[in-house]
Amino acid sequence: MLKDKIEAHLLEVQRPSRYSGGEVGQVMKDPAKVDVRFAFCFPDIYDVGMSHLGMKILYSLINSRENYWCERVFAPWSDMEEVMRREGIPLYALESLDPVKDFDFIGFTLQYEMSYTCILNMLDLAGVPILQRERGEEIAPIVCAGGPCCCNPEPLCDFFDLFILGEGEKVNLELMDLYRKMRDEGAKRSEFLHEAAKIPGIYVPSLYDVAYNGDGTVQSVTPHDGAPATVQKRVMTKMDESFYPDNVVVPFIEIVHDRVSVEVLRGCIRGCRFCQAGFLYRPFREKSADTIVKQGIALCEHSGYDELSLSSLSTSDHSQIEGVLDGLLDYTADRHINLSLPSLRIDNFSESVLEKITTVRKSGLTFAPEAGTQRLRDVINKNVTEEEVMQTCSIAFRGGYTQVKLYFMMGLPTETDEDIIGIADLAQKVVNLFYDTPDRPKGKLQVSISTATFVPKPFTPFEFEPQTEKDEIIRKQRVLRDAIKSKKIKASMHVSDISQMEAVLARGDRRIGAVLYDVWRDGGHLDAWDEFFKAERWYAAFEKNGLDPAFYANRTRSYDEVMPWDHLDYMVSKRFLIRENEKAHQGITTPPCRTACGGCGANQCLGGPCFPQKGNDRNGLV
Amino acid sequence: MKDYRIVFEKRGRVKYISHLDLNRCMLRAVRRSGLPAWYTEGFHPHMYLMFPLALSLGAESTCEVMDLRLTEEVPPEEILNRLNPALPEGLRAYEVREPKHVTQDIGSAAYEITLVGEELTPRWEAFLAQEQILTEKKTKKGMKEIDIKPLISVESAAAEGDALHLTMRLPAGNEGNLNVSVVTDAFAAFAQTEVLVKTVLRTKIFCADGGLFF
Repeated sequence: MLKDKIEAHLLEVQRPSRYSGGEVGQVMKDPAKVDVRFAFCFPDIYDVGMSHLGMKILYSLINSRENYWCERVFAPWSDMEEVMRREGIPLYALESLDPVKDFDFIGFTLQYEMSYTCILNMLDLAGVPILQRERGEEIAPIVCAGGPCCCNPEPLCDFFDLFILGEGEKVNLELMDLYRKMRDEGAKRSEFLHEAAKIPGIYVPSLYDVAYNGDGTVQSVTPHDGAPATVQKRVMTKMDESFYPDNVVVPFIEIVHDRVSVEVLRGCIRGCRFCQAGFLYRPFREKSADTIVKQGIALCEHSGYDELSLSSLSTSDHSQIEGVLDGLLDYTADRHINLSLPSLRIDNFSESVLEKITTVRKSGLTFAPEAGTQRLRDVINKNVTEEEVMQTCSIAFRGGYTQVKLYFMMGLPTETDEDIIGIADLAQKVVNLFYDTPDRPKGKLQVSISTATFVPKPFTPFEFEPQTEKDEIIRKQRVLRDAIKSKKIKASMHVSDISQMEAVLARGDRRIGAVLYDVWRDGGHLDAWDEFFKAERWYAAFEKNGLDPAFYANRTRSYDEVMPWDHLDYMVSKRFLIRENEKAHQGITTPPCRTACGGCGANQCLGGPCFPQKGNDRNGLV
Repeated sequence: MKDYRIVFEKRGRVKYISHLDLNRCMLRAVRRSGLPAWYTEGFHPHMYLMFPLALSLGAESTCEVMDLRLTEEVPPEEILNRLNPALPEGLRAYEVREPKHVTQDIGSAAYEITLVGEELTPRWEAFLAQEQILTEKKTKKGMKEIDIKPLISVESAAAEGDALHLTMRLPAGNEGNLNVSVVTDAFAAFAQTEVLVKTVLRTKIFCADGGLFF
């Protein structure tokens, strides 16, 4: 039995309970009594994957259907992979410990581009043919994927049967229902895929042909066999009615985000031009305060966690945030539960909100001004002023905070050395402010600056922009280091070829599939981890396949270029993205959606404006 | 405010969770159970939950002990009825008592061990027949060689095919603790053959005076 084989070796690896299953909250079913089995695969290790909210939602959703069974699968760390390969242990699911290859669906979530090679490795460990075309006509297993990176899944088309675009709460079950019916009728894989392509939100890449121009850009993407010309993402329009779990699998080991979280809203009203999530998850929709409080309490009660976090792209943008906090604090305060709010914004971080969270926990504050000067913040539409940063820090210092973390990006469009020096200046002003605060706390001040290389992503106004090359980033980091004068400022910057690879994969086309395959074959199994990423492996694979990473990462794309993902529709129109790109170059900001509609087009799924209030005269205009 | 000593089993796949993880797991289980747990005062209140004797990762047990302080008196059956549904598969509380002994009273523990390998019985006999059983032990000052022979008290050894079932008592607690793995590693090194430690099961915890710990 596989179980015995696994157990015989678990004590050879670090943190064996990553691989043993059996946690509280896991869903067990009798395999003989279920019709469809879904292996939900997270292409990273347990500690990371178990922290992912989407998986928790979809796991509970599928398992809410008595005859469907969803189980969890994670990538093994290198020590366990070695054991599995040596002992012939195939990739297995944590609940039943059954091999993944025997499941009906093998579903991956695409959260991060650098996890792509890990997907190939997991398929190989599972004993499933990595290439879609080699899987034959037997219907199972269907290898599919969902998640944000599905907005440009082209580099993965060689490996997947289908992609699920947008939010999965409904479409996943529709897909499983269709599968169950067609499998029982004896359908072949290709027949199922033809039918699946008719479900809104399902993209079957093998039903599309891609033609290229002489210069390497995409000429056209042509559907065949009745597949739709464009596939539109799925959206849950009523958040209060949308499925949300009242329990989670409670891990034994400490994981990255070790807490329960309630999603408070989807989408974002801010429109920061670099932020892919801010466009992919539109339109803005919130849950009511009552629903949030109810769901938060249920999760705490059922899981036993002592930390509850509110999850969204910008929690303080919830229109009833104070009511939400009041309702939850009523419950958490005398039950020894911490309430954490990870996504607060600088500009609307009010004193009363701060007071509410400081009654529970005091630690460092994290802000993301993203750029060092107002000019550049206007370009990227990060509508935060220096004054607001200072005001918030002032409130924070008076509230007892002594550690401030500031996040910035480097290599943003139109960036000059002046903007880089502005990062140091801003940090210095925060330092000065601390010492100018009369009733400042006693602790030791630390202002940390962290910079990341900007990666242009699809479905953002910056999808046309080139990524700054590594040497130039290194030079800019030197400029920043030289500009920092205070010992209270700690800068953490590192440069890696990972950023360029991320940029290639984010905006790559189908030809990148061969590169991924070669990188995996050459030993690239956990490339999202610095200790396993080897740049030479990637550059060798590009060269072997006659492709140039700079073509994908560092080239300016014209507005009329056919993007590899143009046949996928995330409800945000290309015209809007072009308009926003032009405004960026003119340094003109776009106000938050609640103030004035920017006309992105995402409200089409709501059948009306996102914020039907007065004075919003452009509401819904595309 | 009242202290309870809860005796529980740790069987099956929960044997892969470490002592630290077990602690966190029990905290959450008590929270889920709705038992009126007592919390320390102060800025970072925490539940009063204590494990007098840790169990090695990979070992199972029928006699684990956990001390829990509640804000009020709760009948033992009710504690069991509320705690057990909140525990993961493999953990099962079966007895609730008033703590009689303190942690410092612990002196030894009994184990059932199953080893698998070739011709283990004669090798085991030869192993025990040695004058001394020297092993290296990590101390604060570096590696130190110690003789573990006087510490091992073997109660039985029975062969079954290529399996060897052992029962033994080893020192446990603050005044010198000997892990089963130290013995099995020393045996494997002595036997010069592959020895698979199939199961380790702790069956009893004793006080230094020889009586049962509870």
